[in-house]
Amino acid sequence: MSADTVRFSEERLAEIAELVKRYPGPQSALMPVLYMAQEDFGYISMDAQKMIAEVLGLRLMQVREVVTFYTMFKEQPTGKYLLEVCTNAGCMLNGAYELADHMCGTLGIRMGETTPDGLFTIAEVECAGACGGAPVVQVNNIYHEKATPASMDALITQVRADGGVE
Amino acid sequence: MTISSDPKQVTQICFDRINIPNQNKLSVARENGAYEFLPTVLNDFDSAKIINEVKTSGIRGRGGAGFPTGLKWSFVPRNTGKPTYLLCNADEGEPGTFKDRDIMRFDPHLLIEGMIMAGFALDVRDAYIYIRGEFLHEANVLNEAIAEAYAANLLGENILGSGYSMNLTVHRGAGAYVCGEETALIESLEGKPGRPRFKPPFPAVEGFYRCPTVVNNVETLATVPAILKFGGEWHASIGIPNNTGCKIFSVSGHVNKPGNYEVPMGTSLKTLIEDYCGGLQHGSVPKVIIPGGSSTPWLTAEHYDTPLTYDDLMKAGSFLGSGAIIVMDETADLVALTRRLAHFYAHESCGQCTPCREGTGWLERVMKRVEGGKGCAGDVTVLKDASEHMAGRTICALAEGAAAPVLSLLKHFPEDVQTRLAESSK
Amino acid sequence: MTQLFINDQEVDVTPGTSILEACRQNDVDVPYFCYHPELSVAANCRMCLVEVEGWGKPAASCCTPVSEGMKVKTQSETLAKDREMMMEYLLIHHPLDCPVCDQGGSCKLQDYTVEHGASKGRYSEPKRAVINYELGPFVNTCMTRCIHCTRCVRFADEVAGTGDIGVLNRSDHMTIAGIVEGALSSELSGNLPDICPVGALLDKPSHDVSRPWEMTSHSSTCIQCPNGCDISIESRGDQVMRIVPVDGSPEPWICDRGRYVYDAFRSDNRILSPMVRQDGALQSVDWSDAFDRTIDLLKDKKVGILFSSQWSVEGHVAISLMRDALFPDAKVAFDLHRRDMRPFAFEEGLAMTTSQIEAADQVVILGSDLRQRLPLLMQRLRKRGRAGKPVSRIGAMNYRTNMEIGRDALIRPRDWHGVIARAMEQVSELGKTAAGFDAWLGAVSDRHEAGKILADALISDSCALLVGEEIRSHEDAASLIHGVDLLMRACGHAEAGNDGRNLIPEGVNAQVLSAVFADARVSAGDIFAAASAGELDALILIGSDPVGDGLFPSAAKAALQKVPLVQIGSISGEMADYADVQLPAAAYSEIEGTFVNMEGRVRVATNPIKSLGQERPLWKVMMRLIQVMGAEVPVVSLDELRSAVCQHLSALSDAWCVSNQDSALIAPNRNRDAAALPKARTDSFELDVVSRYSMYREGMWARASALLTEAGELNALDDVLVHPDTLAAKGLSAGELVVKSFLGEQCFNIGVREDVTPGVLFIAKRGVAGDLSDVTAASIDGGAV
Ligand SMILES: Cc1cc2nc3c(=O)[nH]c(=O)nc-3n(C[C@H](O)[C@H](O)[C@H](O)COP(=O)(O)O)c2cc1C
Ligand code: SF4
Ligand code: FES
Repeated sequence: MSADTVRFSEERLAEIAELVKRYPGPQSALMPVLYMAQEDFGYISMDAQKMIAEVLGLRLMQVREVVTFYTMFKEQPTGKYLLEVCTNAGCMLNGAYELADHMCGTLGIRMGETTPDGLFTIAEVECAGACGGAPVVQVNNIYHEKATPASMDALITQVRADGGVE
Repeated sequence: MTISSDPKQVTQICFDRINIPNQNKLSVARENGAYEFLPTVLNDFDSAKIINEVKTSGIRGRGGAGFPTGLKWSFVPRNTGKPTYLLCNADEGEPGTFKDRDIMRFDPHLLIEGMIMAGFALDVRDAYIYIRGEFLHEANVLNEAIAEAYAANLLGENILGSGYSMNLTVHRGAGAYVCGEETALIESLEGKPGRPRFKPPFPAVEGFYRCPTVVNNVETLATVPAILKFGGEWHASIGIPNNTGCKIFSVSGHVNKPGNYEVPMGTSLKTLIEDYCGGLQHGSVPKVIIPGGSSTPWLTAEHYDTPLTYDDLMKAGSFLGSGAIIVMDETADLVALTRRLAHFYAHESCGQCTPCREGTGWLERVMKRVEGGKGCAGDVTVLKDASEHMAGRTICALAEGAAAPVLSLLKHFPEDVQTRLAESSK
Repeated sequence: MTQLFINDQEVDVTPGTSILEACRQNDVDVPYFCYHPELSVAANCRMCLVEVEGWGKPAASCCTPVSEGMKVKTQSETLAKDREMMMEYLLIHHPLDCPVCDQGGSCKLQDYTVEHGASKGRYSEPKRAVINYELGPFVNTCMTRCIHCTRCVRFADEVAGTGDIGVLNRSDHMTIAGIVEGALSSELSGNLPDICPVGALLDKPSHDVSRPWEMTSHSSTCIQCPNGCDISIESRGDQVMRIVPVDGSPEPWICDRGRYVYDAFRSDNRILSPMVRQDGALQSVDWSDAFDRTIDLLKDKKVGILFSSQWSVEGHVAISLMRDALFPDAKVAFDLHRRDMRPFAFEEGLAMTTSQIEAADQVVILGSDLRQRLPLLMQRLRKRGRAGKPVSRIGAMNYRTNMEIGRDALIRPRDWHGVIARAMEQVSELGKTAAGFDAWLGAVSDRHEAGKILADALISDSCALLVGEEIRSHEDAASLIHGVDLLMRACGHAEAGNDGRNLIPEGVNAQVLSAVFADARVSAGDIFAAASAGELDALILIGSDPVGDGLFPSAAKAALQKVPLVQIGSISGEMADYADVQLPAAAYSEIEGTFVNMEGRVRVATNPIKSLGQERPLWKVMMRLIQVMGAEVPVVSLDELRSAVCQHLSALSDAWCVSNQDSALIAPNRNRDAAALPKARTDSFELDVVSRYSMYREGMWARASALLTEAGELNALDDVLVHPDTLAAKGLSAGELVVKSFLGEQCFNIGVREDVTPGVLFIAKRGVAGDLSDVTAASIDGGAV
């Protein structure tokens, strides 16, 4: 894909035009627009970044700085299901590491990797802000609190059985 | 609101309506008193009166620093010719904290109402809620609530015919703890990496787009409707002087019933843990209590009875912080926990200040070695030196938070470290 | 003033000053990395910690403003420990490759390690690896050495205005990176290695060539553009190794042209010994043989003299003495970009200092590619833009500026009259007028809307006009400048103290040249025409290359084919093809001399580098020439020559003869009664031709520099550009097309760009489309055969 082929749809562009109005300056719309790109294209490629810079009238470097600073912006494709296990204090004290190890075992990959079928990526993340429900696993940004090896296995099995269809 | 006008009866403020089903829907929220007092504020109060009530209430910021909110508002210069912005800090990234999330997902209108009132007091046209990226669900709930509020003319032009207009926008962060620091939050909201700005100038004078800006925590803003409805004096009579009102504590770790509990200030740690959280998972006395989020120094069993106030916790050698209490019983591996927290700070350092950028990584690597049984005797001095010279020498307080667990470990549990070091010499 | 105590010493500073600046002003040493007086404060290195009495923790002095009665300590045991720790943090990932690092010996990290560091670091984990990035021909990166001070990032943002360097990632993965295609798009990029406090950004051309301590520095003035920056020429032996800016001069930076031209000093293109053409080729001879040949060519002949502005004031006056002694009737020319030699109402040179321009309420650029022409003035304008002050512009192309231009209008050169007329009408309506308006307006029938931009700016209290090459080289320049002068007078911008009439000159010493040669000068075109017409017997070119530079290449070629050429200069260039004799004159690095920049600032170079070959200072060559030709030698020493200079320019007797260099600025000439009225156009070609000045290829020095030539290639535009509509109107598309002008039909590769005015034929690359520079009008008629 080149910068010419990574393009927002007309609807998106209209949405962005509206969004920009909500802020004192167009650069403020950068993070929301990056989310849109991630939603539309799966990840934020360099071409997408160039295109976004153009759409918002920014320099490519301004876009690059933001994309690389924030962990939730992905420059590489991830698995269809992103399993993010919090291992910070609250979750650690409630067995998050054991849970993460178990999940890696079930998936047959190491932390940070993607299953060969491209279905799952497992990652260790920082405190999700839900320590009351520790341990917490986010699945594509949906919180699964008080997760257990059994509940995660069930989820993985379910996804696999459905062939990855939500 | 069902809160009693008698301060002695009050045990909850922000969580007053938290358990009502569908409270996030405007109709339900209104049935339960949301926006009831708003017209009075918009029509009969003026800026000075509101700020004065908030000052009288004695409320201190619930986001971590505990700065008196009324005072902060009074610092905002008027008639600068520039707009004033109100930013709600919903970044909730401090490990252990998860209270703002409940307000936002269960009672978003309480926050919105608080923001309208604060916005009115500060003559704000555009307000923003900066919410951490992971809280996608909460952001959606807020957006729906805001849409309903706009439709009901509670937001937008000429709110309820009062002549006051305010826009409110939810803005998602994207995975950076440091964006909870108010100046980093401002940078982030400007579409840049969240690197804190040095002060002065303070945001109140030069913040968002270099205009006067107030940044307040969700819980702080959610308290405003009650303060205005029942009066500053009312709020000041809850809790204890200089530590007024109620506070939500997010309790996690080795307790039987972790969760958020709002209690009047001054309730003791022990009461909270035993009466509300069902006590510890193992044993009867905690080994470590981190009282205000992972960035605050640790307390040990000797401080189990400390009343939960800004002042008492400071006296005990720590801080109330964001009210995130992480409790550990005797089963906790403190070296491992410290290593995990060191990893957190190394991962989250924005990278700009030398001691924080280099120090956090250094601490993590040494802690990892120590945890893995590969430490050496000199490591203790290195850990101490490296953390002591980070704290207080950087633009923001992240480095101080990074130093706290290491210094606490070395101070309270040197033997835990020594045991690991001994393992390595074997 | 705010009073405070630094180490118990009472000091007064302006309110709002930072502690660090207060310390610097009072010679108190505080270590720092990220602070830079010309850049915004970042406060990230945390090296500048000091103690303030009553504060619980140390304060970063660079970002802490002073307050009344504050008690600051810059030395204490805790601070010593803090600084030691800062050094330890910084060195955690820093490689220990000082022995092979170019920065070694002039490295802040090295110095502070000695001063503040511990003798041993305690970090035993693996060091971080960082990838380098490509920044083009001038800057090398070695990013493992980076200490993340972000000076380079701020420089790229704030000074260069390109923003192509940034900070990626965070935590200790944070890296400084550039996004660069080909080369940094800045003409100030050579300053990056200077501001990098460590060896992460390095000067590429001098990489691995020499060590800082081997250099001898020679203070001089750069003659590469009218800004005449102070420079320090650094040499090893008699070889120029690099050129760097001078601390404490008006501009903290120098541009890439002035810096990287240094390789021309030792290029093959230098004339290092007298040369004479024998059997068709130039042969090295001794001075007397060369003079014999010169006498043959010049004695009792009618000559034309053409020289460049690159010489010192002494050199220029010596040329005038030579003319007076040998060829009192000879016409001289020294400006290759001026067609209209009638006196200008305001002559070349700036009425304002660059700081005053930076501070003016309004700045209007009239027809100049300022970024190429005067990169440092552009940088000032950028600074102004950052402070929210407007800059507007009218011209034939939206020249790239790296800054926001407030109001911008594209016009053709023929529209200038209409622009000025429109502005006159607008200010007249406001009751602002000058005697002469009516006559001027009466001679112009067109009105152009762009005049509104000019008039709106003129209404403000202080307005700086930057009149550029598009007007200066206009065929009807005198009337345009008269018109602008009337406007400025009408609006009160022409009095001393509030004079905003700045005419950007071709080179340095413009004020001196117009005073010394006022009566004798003609257009270079006239000299070539005279030579071609057989009215001249020979040409003397002193440091000038009219084929490679300027607006008369075709005429120059024709003339040079017709008459013999005596070339005197430092660089041989293309003139080697024509010269019958070459006499070597010393380069600007090799002379004691005086220079006047466009602001009228006087600078004296005193400690020259030894000559590389047999070249002599120009004034000595001139005196020898007078002597061998049998006339009386007017001056025999530099002192005598300088007295002669003072006779021409009394302003210099104050500013320089009394060795009072920093005093008054030399003001540009004013000719109040130079009332030229607009002329009607006579030719019938529909396109106006404008040619672009390129800082990388204009001038003999630049072309002799391999470094600048390389940069010029990276920055090149298409040869000839037009607006797409211009071609569309003719049903043509970009490519090889025939251009018709009074020179006949020629074929050029024509590209399209939206930012060229429709109706303008824009010559972007003179070297290739050189011949077209001669014409002011042309037409495109169709595709190549
Ligand atoms: C590293 C760091 C992280 C912070 N994170 C948060 C946060 O997530 N939420 C919050 O409200 N305040 C956070 N703060 C505190 C804010 O800087 C600021 O004090 C607060 O938002 C002010 O609101 P308040 O006065 O209502 O407490 C953080 C501070 C630091 C230094
Ligand atoms: S490259 Fe040099 S100037 Fe740039 S941040 Fe690194 S050390 Fe500073
Ligand atoms: S000079 Fe002050 S922090 Fe770098």
